[in-house]
Amino acid sequence: MIIGGIASYFIQGGFNLGIDFLGGSLMEVEFTRDVDVTEVRSVMNDIGFRNAILQRTESNKFIIRTTPINTEVKNEILDSLDEKIGTTGTLLQDRNVDPGFGKQITKYAFIAVGIGIVGILIYIWIRFEFRFGAAAILALVHDVLVTLGVYAILNREINTSTIAAILTIIGYSINDTIVVFDRIRENTPMTRKLGYIKVVNDSINVTLPRSINTSLTTLIPIILLLILGTAALKDFALALTVGIVTGTYSSIFIASPIVVAWNNRFPKYKK
Amino acid sequence: MRNKKVHITIIAIFIAIISVSLYYILKEPINLGLLKEPINLSLLKESINLGLDLKGGTQIILKPTERGGTGEITPEKLNLTMDRIRDRIDRLGVSEPLVTKDHLKNIVVQLPGVKDPDTAKEIIGKTAQLEFRLVTGTFISQKDDNWSIVGLDYEKGELLIDPDAKKTILIDDINKFFQGKSVLTVGNLITDPETNELVLVAPQNQADSEENKEGENADSAGSNFSAEEILGVVKYDSETMQMFIEKDGEEVGEILVDSRTGAATLAEPALLTGDKLAKAAAGYDTYGEIRVTLSFKDEGVEIFKEITSENIGRNLAIVLDEEIKSAPYIKVPITDGSAEITGIDSIEEAKNIELVLQTGALPISLQIEESSTVGPTLGMDSLNKGLYAGIIGFILIIVFMLFYYKGLGIYSALGLIIYIIIFWGIISGIGAALTLPGIAGIILTIGMAVDANVIIFERIKEEIIKSKSPRIAIGYGFKNALRTIVDSNVTTLITAAALYRFGTGPIKGFAVTLSLGVVISMIVSLLFTRSIIFLMSGISRINTPGFLGVRRRSSE
Repeated sequence: MIIGGIASYFIQGGFNLGIDFLGGSLMEVEFTRDVDVTEVRSVMNDIGFRNAILQRTESNKFIIRTTPINTEVKNEILDSLDEKIGTTGTLLQDRNVDPGFGKQITKYAFIAVGIGIVGILIYIWIRFEFRFGAAAILALVHDVLVTLGVYAILNREINTSTIAAILTIIGYSINDTIVVFDRIRENTPMTRKLGYIKVVNDSINVTLPRSINTSLTTLIPIILLLILGTAALKDFALALTVGIVTGTYSSIFIASPIVVAWNNRFPKYKK
Repeated sequence: MRNKKVHITIIAIFIAIISVSLYYILKEPINLGLLKEPINLSLLKESINLGLDLKGGTQIILKPTERGGTGEITPEKLNLTMDRIRDRIDRLGVSEPLVTKDHLKNIVVQLPGVKDPDTAKEIIGKTAQLEFRLVTGTFISQKDDNWSIVGLDYEKGELLIDPDAKKTILIDDINKFFQGKSVLTVGNLITDPETNELVLVAPQNQADSEENKEGENADSAGSNFSAEEILGVVKYDSETMQMFIEKDGEEVGEILVDSRTGAATLAEPALLTGDKLAKAAAGYDTYGEIRVTLSFKDEGVEIFKEITSENIGRNLAIVLDEEIKSAPYIKVPITDGSAEITGIDSIEEAKNIELVLQTGALPISLQIEESSTVGPTLGMDSLNKGLYAGIIGFILIIVFMLFYYKGLGIYSALGLIIYIIIFWGIISGIGAALTLPGIAGIILTIGMAVDANVIIFERIKEEIIKSKSPRIAIGYGFKNALRTIVDSNVTTLITAAALYRFGTGPIKGFAVTLSLGVVISMIVSLLFTRSIIFLMSGISRINTPGFLGVRRRSSE
């Protein structure tokens, strides 16, 4: 999955970043009748906006993304669309982001993710052991990479909602990992008798129903949002769905084996 | 027995909290008389404060800059700027505007349901720095040389030469461009061979300039150069984006763009500014031309009289935000302190100028960083769909919990209902705005709120399987689950805090709902659910392993 994501990252020349990061203008237009993308595309090409990104949100609604444009140019576009296809006249949404501001947003998104991760690492270090923290972070990096990979493969737009979703995944994935680790911590005294691998294995087994049930109850509303929601909500729900599924399995198949491998390498407990 | 009292007290406290929550949730809908109608979604919508992305409206983020020479950005200036922006919005007639600062010291303006966002943008961000300056002269092209300076692109640091040819020149390269060219009614721009600076020198006679044009090289321009003729050195400040003429370290003029002709014009420093203004009014003059009439306060009347009597025969430029609006010729001294701005394209523009001048100049120049307008239909659509997803999800979760945990599922259903009531009550009580990501946050926390229950129930089941009596199993279950629940939720709170601190607008809303959800769900499951389960476990008939979701065979 990660490899696939990296491959499409390079094939498509990077992520499909939204105007939140790149700056630019976005407007959602409602047409008086159902239209398809080729029709809108041809109008945009005629007026010289070959690079405009078109996204169909409903049969008669389109999101049009362009480089930063001023009010006059925007009105020219709208007039042409109205003349050739027919619009309802009012914009459903209209956003303009200065490229400099986009850079700032990107910077703060990285800071937020960075501080979130460091904060979690420190907390786990205090409450558990450093090795647990490191394993949890690795599982986390995996989850974030997979989610971003899915975005690269589907060429979905990454915007500030996606960043919020990724941070939530970080929180959720850690949450899941901690439940497993908590059991390992609790059962560690039995290592002398059973060996560390068995302890970890047993801990995973007893927490398995909880991991699956919690993922299910969290996924139920998120998947509904993915089906029922508007474009913006769907974007958010997609990232969460991918993140929750990977977050659950990474706690079991990535974080825990790392803890075991770490112990094999630098034995603290009996294998 | 003491335990029982504690549990009853806890439940009583929760009932009180729920009542308060219900009060806040229902206050607004009752005022609006919605309760008489059958229960519908509008009840939910009216009980909380909706963010702009849900109810529709315009948000503008403005960054303070030092452009136009407004000087250093201080907190006092920032506050005054925000006050003046509020005043301008009030005059636009927008209800419930919100003007705030974000963590990057940007000014965030939120306008719910504004009809014409483009005009609002225009008016709010306008510095409205009004100045009266004497005109020195204009940079013009020679008849046979087909170019003229038509503007300054401050952003790129370029002089715009002839808009049709779309020719531009970097300010750094001006020296080369102007070599030997006679460009000004007031003088020429030439490179000083000694200091290599671009300087303005006094006008030469016709013969001299012809000669220069023939020669067209630095040497010939240099040969005409004498120190006495220097009017000043051209300085460009990329920070404030202004271009000055300086002599002996003092500003003697600024190059400004004339909005009517687009020509670059040299004007002396300001003699009178907008703070001496008493009134501005948009209207038409007797010829039907659009104008804004200005009248000064007493102090301004005096200064204006002085300027106009001492400079008869010169042009006085009326400069608004570094742009020359008009530059009337002074025929006679003006003693009544009235002036007018002409050369305005439309009456709307005149009215905008009137409004910004009336509210006063912003002490800081602002640049629009982001603007976003969401129509009311799209926002409502998102809200409705989000609520439907939430309600259906809520029902499905309860069905799942009842199916999987049998009797214990009833407790989690009860806990979830209480969780939602308290959550909604707090949101409407503190008046926090619910945004689109906020809805996603709520839906996510509904799923996560069950997590604590799942952890507890799994622990209880384990204890029963270890053949403990249900009552003791419940006690151990809660005790063992406590540490797990706290640890796992604290990490979620850490990420929510990072989001809150570094997120922008809607993301902050998401962080708030997420952390609220985590804290409330933790309190509900660790206190309320616990107490109710303990109390109910006293009733032996419902307290069988089967009721607790453990099948007989699993307890073998």
